[in-house]
Amino acid sequence: MRKKALENLTTVEEVLETVAEFDREAHSFYTDLIPKISKSIRYIVEELARARLDQVRMMSDLAKNPDVKSHFRDAIQRPAADRQFSDAIHAPDLGDNPDDQAVLQYALARVQIAIEEYSELAANTPPGLLHEVFSFLANEEVKHKSELEALYYDIVHSGGV
Amino acid sequence: MGFRDVLSPYTAWKHVIRTPVTIKDPIGREAADTYRGFHQNDLDKCIGCGSCEVICQNAAIDMVPVSDPVDGDSGLRPKIDYGRCCWCALCVDVCMTGSLTMSNEYTWVDSDPDAFRFIPGVDAKPWDHLEKGYQREGGRVLTGNERAGMGELAPEARADNFDEIVAGYTREQALIEADRCVECGLCVATCPAHMDIPDYIAAIREGDYDLGTQILYETNPFSEVCGRVCTHKCETACAARHEGDPIAIRWLKRHIIDNVSEDRRLEIVGIPGVASSGHRVAVIGAGPAGLTAAYDLARQGHAVTVYEAQDKSGGMMRYGIPEYRLPYDALDRDIAVIEAQGVEIRTGTRIGRDISMDTLKAENDAVVLAIGLHMGRSTRIPGAQGEGVEAAIDLLRRITAGEAVQVPKRVVVIGGGNVAMDIARSMARLQKREHGQVGVTVTALESFAHFLADEEEVTESFEEGIEILDARGPQEVVRFKSGKNKGKVKGLRTWAVTSIFDDKGRFAPQYDRADEQVHPGEMVIEAIGQAADVSILGPELTEALEWTRGRIAIAPDGRTSEPWLWAAGDAVHGPDVITAVADGHRVAHSVHEMLLAGTEAKR
Repeated sequence: MRKKALENLTTVEEVLETVAEFDREAHSFYTDLIPKISKSIRYIVEELARARLDQVRMMSDLAKNPDVKSHFRDAIQRPAADRQFSDAIHAPDLGDNPDDQAVLQYALARVQIAIEEYSELAANTPPGLLHEVFSFLANEEVKHKSELEALYYDIVHSGGV
Repeated sequence: MGFRDVLSPYTAWKHVIRTPVTIKDPIGREAADTYRGFHQNDLDKCIGCGSCEVICQNAAIDMVPVSDPVDGDSGLRPKIDYGRCCWCALCVDVCMTGSLTMSNEYTWVDSDPDAFRFIPGVDAKPWDHLEKGYQREGGRVLTGNERAGMGELAPEARADNFDEIVAGYTREQALIEADRCVECGLCVATCPAHMDIPDYIAAIREGDYDLGTQILYETNPFSEVCGRVCTHKCETACAARHEGDPIAIRWLKRHIIDNVSEDRRLEIVGIPGVASSGHRVAVIGAGPAGLTAAYDLARQGHAVTVYEAQDKSGGMMRYGIPEYRLPYDALDRDIAVIEAQGVEIRTGTRIGRDISMDTLKAENDAVVLAIGLHMGRSTRIPGAQGEGVEAAIDLLRRITAGEAVQVPKRVVVIGGGNVAMDIARSMARLQKREHGQVGVTVTALESFAHFLADEEEVTESFEEGIEILDARGPQEVVRFKSGKNKGKVKGLRTWAVTSIFDDKGRFAPQYDRADEQVHPGEMVIEAIGQAADVSILGPELTEALEWTRGRIAIAPDGRTSEPWLWAAGDAVHGPDVITAVADGHRVAHSVHEMLLAGTEAKR
């Protein structure tokens, strides 16, 4: 029983490293995708890559913050969404020439996983610095999702409806 | 000079002792409650239509600019000259919005003579908020409030056929409707093609259909089409809508063209009267934008060839709009006039398959891209891939082309726009023919209060027995998992939509998952959106062109970043026939200017 409980724990450092890896992979995935897709829809992937790069930079700054560093060894409940989150690090193959809808659907699914992960981490941490950090990250992803959904509507639900 | 003449000046002195009949000091003495005194104007209601200016018999009213014009509001407001005003109140009687009234204040002392010309509502006056005064009684008194009716097929008479629903105005109906127009011209500014609406309505009143046709063709070679399916933005700006029905501008346009034979149209429009310029222009796409551009360019003396992938010309007008709304022969009459200008239309010719973009570029002085939005979008929900799920736009095309179309007894349509209504009503007609009954369910994300389809489309769909469910979000195309129908479509699973947009107006659908329904159907048709097939450009040109968020970037005149290529119509400005017509004119003008400049430079 105790062993199982311990298995469900992880450290803040490990969590932050997983999160950083999640964003680095996303940035790399989108950047690699740019030359593969038609110029007509390239702006979508360029914007996604830029957004992930901003996130990578933010996570890097966060990891260097002395206050956050002081919590690196803290134990934290491993989120139930963690497996999904880790799986999403491995980017899918969208084919040689994915269309705008496929790219956006992938981006939306990915951002949803991030929202669930950060929200659970925030819920698992007591009020304080870490709670605020995870709440902030969850909030950022929610905003990003709203923007993606608006773009999705503009693209997919426009023209002749 | 007689004796009386000598005494007469002194006789006036007898009045000195009489009680004066005029008021020595009228200031402060209130007039009768309904007295016609100085004007008031409610700026929130005034739309600057200028009806007051037109009706004033003394030229006491000038419309002057006070703000920037917007659709349905000229930004002008009446300025009244009280040196001319006779206080007749005709301006109040004719006011289309009821904004102009008259207070019962009638006295005003000012040493500045120019002060007696002012703009009610803009130049603050003491009587601005007086409630007493003259207001017209019984609503608008000089023009009618209700639109003249038009004959149309009853639901039971149209249920199993594609016959045109509306009959068009009779002369009597058209006259009644034309008489309601006050010729304010707010509609002209709102119409994308800036059609001269008041003048062609005046031509109807005069019974001069030749003149009407001439006016129509000055701005639009698609009057048969626009007289039936125009989105009539003009009617949303019409001054008459403020106190009743807007003028039926679209139907009046059709009435003109209904009364002029094809031969007479050609006589009125004529053929190009200019010598050949020696320039060649290729137009890709025989829809409203492409054919309008072709019409203009041909009339300017250029040799124009239109390349159309489908077997017949017309684009979305033919392959996207069902015949009960736009009969093919009406479309053909419009196209015949365009072809008579010398425009060559090569149908069944797909760019990239039958002729390359490189060839078009090499063989022409300019190329106009007007390819429309012919690719249907898919929801890509689970189960949406595979047999039994169709794109509305593709199905409409196949119905028009006379291709075999499966007609199941039950069909579910996803979408709440006009395309969704078009395919639902088309399938309902085919079902009625084949099965004797209608079995179509339309599921739309939007609630009825925010429906995208035109109100009349929704009303007529209900009349034809179609079930329309609002606020339903598609989640899965349900398929049989076993048995002889394994893999076939069983229906559509939806959740109730609680909201579509967030507080910032962005798309963020929220669902009530507890409210789940499966709508039975052997076919699901997706009518959620359309896209342009830009693959015909090929990778090199796609890479060379500048793009703006998925659309080809164009200058205001329609020119792309490639100097030989222009783009117009639905593919760059979204779906709308009259906007496409306006676009066609714009690019034709730009192409002509470029060709002209090239000719001048060579001299």
